[in-house]
Amino acid sequence: MTDIETLPSVYEGSDGAELTALRRFLIRTGIGIMVFLGLYAMALLLTPYDPNTADFLSRLQSPGAAHWLGTDHLGRDVATRIIYGAGWSVGLALVISVCGAVIGVLIGLCAGAGPQWFDRLSMRTTDSFFAFPELIAAIAISGILGPSTGNMVLALVMVSWMRYARLTRSLTLVLNQKDFIVQARLNRLPFWLILWRHFLPNLRLGLLVLWTNMWSRTILSISGLSFLGFGVQPPQAEWGAMLVDGKAYMLTAPYLMIFPGLAVLITVLALNLIGDQLRDHIQKPVD
Amino acid sequence: MLAVNSLCVDVSSQRLLDDISFTLKPGECLCIVGESGSGKTTLLKTLLGLMPFSQGQISYQFAEEDCQLNPGHQYLGLPGVSWVMQNPLAALNPLQPVGRAVAESLYHKSLSKQKEAERVAAAFRKVELSPELARRLPSQLSIGQAQRVCIARALVCLPEVIIFDEPLSALDAVVQKQIAWVIDGIKTAHRLSYLFVTHDLGFADAYADKILLLRDGCVEAYQPVEEFFSAPTSDYGAELIEAARILGSLDAPAAMAPVLLEASA
Amino acid sequence: MKKIANGVTGLICQRLAGLLAVMFGVSFLTFLLYYFAPGDKALAIGQARYSGEGDVQPEIIAMIREEFGLDKPFLSQFFHWLSPLLQGDLGRSLVSQEEVWLIVIPNLQETLTLSITALLLGLGLAFVLSVVSAQKPGSLMDRVAIGVASVGAAVPSYWLGLMLILLFAATLQWLPSYGSGSFSHLILPATTLALWVMTTQTRLFRSFLLEAQAAPHLEALRLRQVTETEIFWCHVLRHALIPAITMIGIELAALLEGAVIVEVIFSRNGIGSLFVSSVMSRDYPVIMCLVLLSAFSYVLINTLVELLQDAINPVKRVTRVVV
Repeated sequence: MTDIETLPSVYEGSDGAELTALRRFLIRTGIGIMVFLGLYAMALLLTPYDPNTADFLSRLQSPGAAHWLGTDHLGRDVATRIIYGAGWSVGLALVISVCGAVIGVLIGLCAGAGPQWFDRLSMRTTDSFFAFPELIAAIAISGILGPSTGNMVLALVMVSWMRYARLTRSLTLVLNQKDFIVQARLNRLPFWLILWRHFLPNLRLGLLVLWTNMWSRTILSISGLSFLGFGVQPPQAEWGAMLVDGKAYMLTAPYLMIFPGLAVLITVLALNLIGDQLRDHIQKPVD
Repeated sequence: MLAVNSLCVDVSSQRLLDDISFTLKPGECLCIVGESGSGKTTLLKTLLGLMPFSQGQISYQFAEEDCQLNPGHQYLGLPGVSWVMQNPLAALNPLQPVGRAVAESLYHKSLSKQKEAERVAAAFRKVELSPELARRLPSQLSIGQAQRVCIARALVCLPEVIIFDEPLSALDAVVQKQIAWVIDGIKTAHRLSYLFVTHDLGFADAYADKILLLRDGCVEAYQPVEEFFSAPTSDYGAELIEAARILGSLDAPAAMAPVLLEASA
Repeated sequence: MKKIANGVTGLICQRLAGLLAVMFGVSFLTFLLYYFAPGDKALAIGQARYSGEGDVQPEIIAMIREEFGLDKPFLSQFFHWLSPLLQGDLGRSLVSQEEVWLIVIPNLQETLTLSITALLLGLGLAFVLSVVSAQKPGSLMDRVAIGVASVGAAVPSYWLGLMLILLFAATLQWLPSYGSGSFSHLILPATTLALWVMTTQTRLFRSFLLEAQAAPHLEALRLRQVTETEIFWCHVLRHALIPAITMIGIELAALLEGAVIVEVIFSRNGIGSLFVSSVMSRDYPVIMCLVLLSAFSYVLINTLVELLQDAINPVKRVTRVVV
C-alpha cells in the first residue's frame, strides 16, 4: 500500500540525536527479531509431531491439550504445520524480496547514474512490467510454466523488482545533483566504486523501508498464490495451501481455516508496523 | 600556467559564455566576479570538463604536463587542478568518514595504505585540522571544519591550481575570516595559483592579483586589481565598486577619503 | 537546455507516445510468456480443434504450425501474433472453440458490476473513516481508524472472504455463499473487496487531509472568521481531493487483481475466475487476451489520471520541463 511517492527522500545529513534514535530503534527491532527466531527454533525442536505425516486415528480433532490448534482432515497437527509453514511463507518471501531488491536496485542505479539511453530503455521496460497487475502476472507466469514452488518464486521476483528500480532511480537522480558525487566523478573513481561508496549508502534507509513493505506484501502474495493452487503445492505445510485444505471442512472444523489465516495476518501486521515505525524515524529529519 | 583563449559555451543554441580569455600564472590569484547568472559557474564547470565548450582553447603548462584542449575534447578534471565547492556539507558524502573523502582524491595515485594515510594527515595539518578528525562523519564536524576538510581534499593531490567556488558564502563572518586566512596561508606556503569565484569585492581587493568581471556570459573587465579599483574600464564595474563602498564591504581608497570628508562637512 | 513542452497539445502527444511505447512493451512481454510456455503449441491447438477424432495426424499438426507461424524465428512469430491482434482478432478459445471476445465480454460485465460496487462502497467507508480521524489527529477515534486500516492491510483478502462466508452464510445463513445473479449474491463479495479498498485508501486519504489542513493559507481564512466547518468542506477537502483522484484511478486498475481472488472464493463468474480456469486448462488465447486487457486497462487509466492531474493542476502544466 505504500506508494513510491510517499516514501522518504534521501536521508539528509542530520544531527546526531536523530541518528541515535534510529539506531536504537534498529537495535531494539533486531533484538525482538532474534528473540522471536529463538522461540521459533525452540518450537521446531519441541513439537512432537511431524508436519506431513498423516495420522488417521486423530482426524479433525478440535483444539485441545494434545493438539493445541486441532488436527486437519489427515490427522496432522495444525500448530506444527503452522510453525513449519512460517518457513515457507516468511522464508520464501525473504528470498524473493531480496532477489527483487538486488535486481531492482542494480537497474535503478544504472538508470539514474548511467547513460541516458539506458535510463530511457530501462524505465520503459519498468513501465511495461508495472502495467501487469501483480497477481495476474504471477498467476500467468507460474500457471503457464507449471505450478511449483520454483516457478512461483520466479514469477514473484519478476513482478516485484520494478518498485525497487523506480525508487532507486528517483533517489539516485536526486543524489546525482549533489556536489560530493560531482567530486567523486572529478576524482575519476570507477563507475562501480561511485555506486558502491557514494550512492548505495545514501539509498539504504529508503530501500529498507520499501523492503520491509515488499516483504510483507510478498507473504500475502505467496499465500494467495498457494491458495489458488499456483504456489507451494500440498502436502507441504504452507499457510495458503492449508486454508484450501481447510475450506472443505468449513462447517465442521472452522479452526482449520481460522488459524492459518491468523498466522498470515499477525506476521504481515508485525512487518508492516516495523516498516511504519522505520519510516517515521527516517522521515522526521526531512520534515 | 593556465590559459583560456576565446572560450565559448553553447547549450541548445543558446550562448552561455562568449569569447572568454584569461591567463593564470603560477602564484597568481585571479578573482572571477559577477552577479548570479553571469556564467561564473558555467565557466568553472567547463574548465573541469563537466560541460563541453564549442569554441576556443584551454591550454595548460604545468611541471609535469603540457596540453591543449580543443572543442569536442572529452576530459574530466584537469591534472594539477583541484576544486573547492561552495557548501562543504553538500560536497561531502554524509555517510563517509571525512578522512576517506580526502583519500579518494589520491585514488589514481595507487599509493600504499600507509603512505596514503600520511598524505591525508599532512593535508589535514596544512589546513590546521587535527588528523584525528579524519574518522568523523561530516555531520560530526562544524561547518568551518568541514570547509577545511574540503580544502584539505583539494590540497592532498598537490595541485598547482585550486579553483574556489565561493568558498566563504556558506559560512558566518567569524568562520569566513578564519577560512580566508587558511586559504591565503597555504597559497604562499605552496606557491599555488587560485581561480577564485566570489561576490565579495572586499575579499577580491585584499587577495586578488587580477580581476575578471563577467556579465551575461561576456567579459566586462579583465584588469589587475589596483587598476580595476582605481580606474575601472567599464561602467558596470564602477557601479559595482560604488555599491560595495556604500554597503561598507569595501574600504574607500585613501585618496578619496578627504573628498568624502569635505563633502560631508 | 530546457524547453517547455508546447502547451497542452504537446503534453498530450508526449503522454500518448509514452502510452504507445508501454503498450508495445506490454504486448512483447505477453508474447514472451507465450513463447516460453512449455509444450508443443501446435499439438495443443490440434487436440483442441479435433478433440473427438482421437490422435491428431502429423499432417494436420504441420498445417497448424504453418497457419500460426510456429516454425518461424522469434521475431516473425511475434509479428504473426501481433498483426491479427491489431485488427481486433483475438482468436478462438482452445477449450470451447468460441471467439475469445464472446467469452470475455459477459464475464467482464460481471466483474465490472462487482468492482464498481466495491469501489463505491470502499471509497465511501474510507472517506468517512479518514474524515473522522483527520478531524482530531491523535484522538481515540483517529487511533481506532488507523488501527482498523493497519489490521485491514494485513488481512489476506481470501481469508476475509472465507470468514465472511463462515459468519454470514454458514453460521447465520443470512446470505448465499456462492454463485452469481441476484443482488444478495453480490453483497458478500462486494463487501470483501470493499474492505480491501477501504484499508488501502483510508490512511492515504487521511494523510492527504492532514497535509491540506496544515496549509498556511487556512490561517488567513480563520483570521477572516470563516467557520471551521466551511474551511473543512470548502477548502481542505478540495485540496485533498487532487491527490486522491490519482489514487482512486490506480485503485480501479488494481481492483481487477482483488477480483481474481474474490471471484474464486465466491465461485462468481467474472474475469478473475475465467482467468484462473483458463490458466489451469492452458487456454492460451483467453489467457493472453485477459493479460493484455488487464495491462492495457491499467496503462490507459494511468495515462488518463495523469492527464486529469495536468488539467487540474496548472502549476504542473507550466513547470513540466523537457530536458
